[in-house]
Amino acid sequence: MTEEFEPKIVAFLCKWCSSAGSDLAGVSRMEYPANVIPIQVMCSGSVSPLYIFEAFNRGADGVLVSGCHPGDCHYIKGNMYARRKLLLVKKLLEHLGLEPQRFQMSWVSAAEGQKYTQVIKELVKELKPLGPQTKLRREHHG
Amino acid sequence: MVKHEDLKAEAKKLLESGTIKYLIAYERNARDGKAIPVFIKKPEEVDKITWDPTCFHNLVRFVVDEKRRKARQKNPDTRPVGVVVKGCDSRALVILLQEKFIDRKDVRIIGVSCETTGVIDERKLAKKLKGQKAKNIEFGPDENFVVTTEEGTVNLPASEIMADRCLECIAPIPVISDVLFGEKTKRSTPHPFGSVDKIETLSFEDRWKFWSEQLEKCVRCYGCRSVCPMCYCDECVADTITFAVTPDTTADEKALKIKWLDKSPVISENIFYHMVRAIHLAGRCIDCGECERACPVNIPLRMLNKKLEKEAKLLFGYDVGFDPDKPALISCFRDEDPGDFIR
Amino acid sequence: MDKILAKKDFSRWLEALGAYDVYAPRLIDDVWNYELAADPKAISLDYPQTAIPAKKIVFPQREFFFEFHEADTDGYELKELLPGGKPAVIFGVRPCEGKAVTLTDLVFGGEIKDDYYWKRRNSAVLVGLACASPPSANCFCLSVNGSPHSKEGLDVLLTDLGDHYYVEALTDKGKKLVSEAGAVFHEAKPGDKKAAEKIHADSEKKLSRELKNIKDVPAKLKGMFASPFWDDESMSCIRCGICTYLCPTCHCFDINDEVESQSPLAGRRVRTWDTCQFPDFTMHSSGHNPRPDKAARLRQRINHKFQYFVEAWQNYQCTGCGRCITLCPVGIDIIKVVEKVRDHVS
Repeated sequence: MTEEFEPKIVAFLCKWCSSAGSDLAGVSRMEYPANVIPIQVMCSGSVSPLYIFEAFNRGADGVLVSGCHPGDCHYIKGNMYARRKLLLVKKLLEHLGLEPQRFQMSWVSAAEGQKYTQVIKELVKELKPLGPQTKLRREHHG
Repeated sequence: MVKHEDLKAEAKKLLESGTIKYLIAYERNARDGKAIPVFIKKPEEVDKITWDPTCFHNLVRFVVDEKRRKARQKNPDTRPVGVVVKGCDSRALVILLQEKFIDRKDVRIIGVSCETTGVIDERKLAKKLKGQKAKNIEFGPDENFVVTTEEGTVNLPASEIMADRCLECIAPIPVISDVLFGEKTKRSTPHPFGSVDKIETLSFEDRWKFWSEQLEKCVRCYGCRSVCPMCYCDECVADTITFAVTPDTTADEKALKIKWLDKSPVISENIFYHMVRAIHLAGRCIDCGECERACPVNIPLRMLNKKLEKEAKLLFGYDVGFDPDKPALISCFRDEDPGDFIR
Repeated sequence: MDKILAKKDFSRWLEALGAYDVYAPRLIDDVWNYELAADPKAISLDYPQTAIPAKKIVFPQREFFFEFHEADTDGYELKELLPGGKPAVIFGVRPCEGKAVTLTDLVFGGEIKDDYYWKRRNSAVLVGLACASPPSANCFCLSVNGSPHSKEGLDVLLTDLGDHYYVEALTDKGKKLVSEAGAVFHEAKPGDKKAAEKIHADSEKKLSRELKNIKDVPAKLKGMFASPFWDDESMSCIRCGICTYLCPTCHCFDINDEVESQSPLAGRRVRTWDTCQFPDFTMHSSGHNPRPDKAARLRQRINHKFQYFVEAWQNYQCTGCGRCITLCPVGIDIIKVVEKVRDHVS
């Protein structure tokens, strides 16, 4: 029996909003696909493009960066810098020919456990037909 | 037309008065008639200075070197260094000033206008001359270059051998200078991002095919990084061993240092290196074209590094390298920055 | 016995070499480089000079030493990864590159032999192409004890006689390569030999450049170690690495572990090219760097090629191919630098 492809998604979640939102989804026992490798960061603005490139280099099929809604950032403006910087990263990855669905951003607040599960469900749904990410992934000698 | 005598006179004045410690300019390499960088320390040496269509180097790179040199000296000479800049080069100086890498008083800027024509592309010239060697190339009238070979002298339309970046030039006149030579001619550039646009007509799969074929050729000589004035980091992400180490750094710390990418010139690591360079140049790359010129295997790096210059303009209304007082692209934002892509 | 190969039969020779990985110069995006020859019929040896020399096949830019992984029991399993696969045949090797391989042979041979280098070197067959005229505007092989028709390091030498090649098999490997395609070749006649010899003699008069009277340069360099000469000469150097990566004789390397999995720990030990022109080449693990500036590094390159190598191996470590001059983005010219050393008055 062949196994269906399950995309591996690395999610950079800001501690104050998105990570808390994902915790809320957990304690509320909301069901959502188990494809995510969560990495907590202090702020979406602290996510360096290097993290995203490294995630793809190591074999991530998809990368999500999620932070506080505009105006709600714990550090006031961090998410505003993220919005600009990570759009540039997205444009660069698309310029190289990486499928646009593979790198995405979301705003998820600490109260939005439901939204978090929604984001993940949609992400998994979009990534499954694309198959494993092989373009940026480093060699694997098995 | 920029007269050599005017340039030389200005250089002589600055050196004789001791205003600058030395001048970074172009000199003619007698052997092949093309310009190379020269460092003029004495007024008697100003006759070496040339200005012609082979002055394609970005001399601002050596302003970065001067800063490094000063940092190593115990009692450095704090006089400014003189530098000859074209329009594109001057924008590199603007970036260095924006980032406070240098102070305005550290440079004495001698601006040269490219007027109606830019500089040559060596590869295009070689193809045009079909094996003949050029001995001399000068700016000519009516948008021609006057090219002298062993066979004689010929006028070639500049547009046929001009560098691609000159065909997409948005700053033919230096945007910052202490003195400016040449006329402030306007130049029309219908497709300032033509090189980048070419990629955007391709499907994602075709784009990937293009870039993976090109970046497979990369031998990681780091010519692109070394020639770029904006790549001035002492510790580069691509070289993990330049990270600061002291006698107190423990063996564990050294062993567990982050290694973002491997040294091997394989496609995944080559793409990582070039992606990192491109993103670190967002809002900083002024398309002097040096990276592409230096590349020994002809990777079209301008098509990559210039992409984010285009996006800066389209998405954020940001003009790269014109105003030294403007904040860097990624250290500012507008309320109206696009956010539709965010779920 | 020397042979003749009609150019129209060249592809038939290549087609007979199924037991080898065949490399030949190919033009990709206006740059010539030795690549695996996919289509024998498309190969022509009518080319000037590759960007990356033939050393890349005998001493590749990346090779594996061994792989390691954490065993179930305590400890690690190591598996040596010696080069294998088909032997390589490289067509169109210029005599300067052949000579360069004899110089890297000295370094990787000697008291401690580098098995990885020799496995490739011993099986590779270098088919040289004599230079009827200089392939580069900066050729100066005659000035550094080389020649446009030198046979050093080559297994076969081809000389272009117009519509056919004069084929000289020089070593056992070369003779085997020629005999494997048997009928494709014809016996050479005395007239052919004369024609080849004339081309060789004429080529010596056509060199692009010269580096004259450098006999005393090694001794001169010894006395110039502390000279400010190097500061002036290196001012335009941007410390990229192009000169050394593309030099047929340069052979410095770096060794790294490429870790593929942290737990269980697994990966490979890899050798890659490195260059003394990178600032961190000589970075010690204490943080000290004995060659912290460009002056020290340019001095190192010139000294290594024209003093240290001469003292150790009685050869200049330069074969006069001119790549470093042609491809340096800022026009640093090794001939000019060595001439200045020769004429230097302290």
